[in-house]
Amino acid sequence: MTLTADHPTRPTAPPLRRDRRRWAWGLGAAVVVAWSLAGAGLFSGDVLNPGGSAQFGRFAAAALDPAADAAFLGLLARSALVTVAYAAAGTALALLLGAVGAPLVARTTWGRRRAGWLAARGVLAVPRGLHEAVWGLLLVNVLGLDPWVGVLAIGIPYGAGSAKVFADLVDEVPRGAYRALRAAGAGRTAAALYGLLPPAAGGLLSYALYRLECAVRSAVVLGMVGAGGLGYQLALSFASLRWEQVWSAVYALSLLCLVADVAGRALRRRVAAPPASARRDPVLTAAVVGTVVLVGWSCWYLALSPASLVSERTVTQLRHLLGAAWPPATDGDLLRSLGVLAVDTVQMSVVAIAVALLGTVLLAGPAARPAGRSSPGRRVAGALVRGGLLLLRAVPPPVWALVLLFVLLPGVLPGALALGVHTLGVLGRLAAEATEELDPRPRAALTALGARPAGAWLYGVLPRAAGPVLVHALCRWEVAVRDTVLVGLLGAGGLGALLASELATFDWAAGTTVLAAVVVLTWAVDVVSDRARAALR
Amino acid sequence: MPPSAGTVRVLGADPAGLSARDRRRLWARVGTVHQSLELVGRLRVVHNVNAGRLADWSGARAAWSLVRPQGLPEALAALDRVGLADRAFERTERLSGGQRQRVAIARLLVQQPDLVLADEPASALDPVLADRALTLLGELAPARGGALVAALHDPGLVRRHCDRVVGLAEGRVVLDRPVATLSDADLAEFYGVTT
Repeated sequence: MTLTADHPTRPTAPPLRRDRRRWAWGLGAAVVVAWSLAGAGLFSGDVLNPGGSAQFGRFAAAALDPAADAAFLGLLARSALVTVAYAAAGTALALLLGAVGAPLVARTTWGRRRAGWLAARGVLAVPRGLHEAVWGLLLVNVLGLDPWVGVLAIGIPYGAGSAKVFADLVDEVPRGAYRALRAAGAGRTAAALYGLLPPAAGGLLSYALYRLECAVRSAVVLGMVGAGGLGYQLALSFASLRWEQVWSAVYALSLLCLVADVAGRALRRRVAAPPASARRDPVLTAAVVGTVVLVGWSCWYLALSPASLVSERTVTQLRHLLGAAWPPATDGDLLRSLGVLAVDTVQMSVVAIAVALLGTVLLAGPAARPAGRSSPGRRVAGALVRGGLLLLRAVPPPVWALVLLFVLLPGVLPGALALGVHTLGVLGRLAAEATEELDPRPRAALTALGARPAGAWLYGVLPRAAGPVLVHALCRWEVAVRDTVLVGLLGAGGLGALLASELATFDWAAGTTVLAAVVVLTWAVDVVSDRARAALR
Repeated sequence: MPPSAGTVRVLGADPAGLSARDRRRLWARVGTVHQSLELVGRLRVVHNVNAGRLADWSGARAAWSLVRPQGLPEALAALDRVGLADRAFERTERLSGGQRQRVAIARLLVQQPDLVLADEPASALDPVLADRALTLLGELAPARGGALVAALHDPGLVRRHCDRVVGLAEGRVVLDRPVATLSDADLAEFYGVTT
């Protein structure tokens, strides 16, 4: 090494080495996005629906003039209570299932028996791969119109997801304390309780709060397929073309999501960085107690009765359903259309993520709160962008699809764009938070040496935020595939539309085949996205 | 940040009275090395060095440079002067603390500032490297007729590399003289004041 001013020889550049794996993934992603856009009909034929613009104009105009009569607002308030009750009871069930299921799928339990662990994980993929609305439609056929349908439809898929995440959180705790306790003669359970659970507790609580936020959105979607609540009112108003009522419901949804977002985020921050002085954080204690009370109230409000779960009618229905659903249908026509629709579904989800990612790159900067002081104009712009993102994610994707059908012809594109704008609402917020949490100093240092704002952002923010945002986007891709089925259920094509028609005609054998295809597709996307994330690290 | 009283003059200009564009020009003439370096770990070394020229580059050129590094000869020459030319395309976070310190100095070399402000530039380095880093910093600004202002804790480094020493205690100047006339007694008195 030399630090002298004049060096005798000219410096020779070392070869510029690119990370081959990443380039392969990047190129593959570009090809898949182009293929999906072509499949969505963007490069061929008409996609615009010129006849719908007048209707769209009336719909948009109603945004400034929402229904505000006392009777409708009262109805919305009662509906919001139903939605909250479903979300709370469903989350409680999910956490219970997660806590029971986590030891069954944790590496710690299985030790070196890898095959058993993989099998346990594989079993979880089935409930996780089906959207809450799909569970709702299936359960309605077993339980009839019972409040348990909504609670179980949230509880089962969320429970499987919670079991996986809880197990991962516990598995990630360093083993030292656990081994020491085992070596000192403690049993497996006692050692896990003392050595594994306390370090993982913060993560577990954070995740539980996060699931509660998500459950509010899921409960809205369940309402759209008939479980009651805000989603049900929204669907009714939409079907009867009462745009001013639609907007009132949308604003109510946004308010509910805002409360869930803000409260959940504040609490998760407190879990991550507890105040030093207090022995027990009173706010957190109050939140946990409040949530428990909320769950109790929800069970009472929804009139949940364990009796209906084991009633004779339920047992008969279940037996009948299982008998009709097995063996699955395997005729050639069904399998061929499954293949075509599976391609549609994948293309829809890819376009959705591409749209969301593009929007995120454009909006994450303005949406993030600047570290230092900022001008009033910047603050107003930031608040507007954040409000817009909230609106995008508060409105369920099927409603976006219906809105887009005013101006687009039916097909893959409206469904994909609907999912895209909804995902943009979620991803934009995650990206803004990721940007806010970055150390501000490298960017400040670049500004201090005279860099333009664009340059400082390119060199100081983008390289550090890109990785986490891409990882989030890949995670959302899995969610988008599930949501594609939901959008399809309500008519936008893909596997969901096929499932809806099989269920409507009570062709249970074909329904089983479609469900299996959905699960396999979700699992495949899960695997691809997992590999891609590993390449990003 | 506006001063609470009086005026601030940087290289003869009052930053408060300048347009945003001229203020950027002014900042570009002042190079800084921070204690925490403030490099972007995810970027390759060459991009962190090129960040020193962002004041001159348009946004488009800055963006393109992340794909195809621009101004490579200057960046490599700067890295060669700090002995890191062979690491130019490595991710900065893979470098050791001392190597990252030298990347920060290479960034200053391509920035070519008239004034260098260094906040404990030698804190992460062993004594030999500290001497070399200060030698390089010392050559940097005076070559263009400017100056190096460094905050240092080690009186030995001050004696070997600086012309003038200013001692601060509780925000007031308690010592100000040419290094040539600095005696051990002065230092003992200064450190007696502070501790």
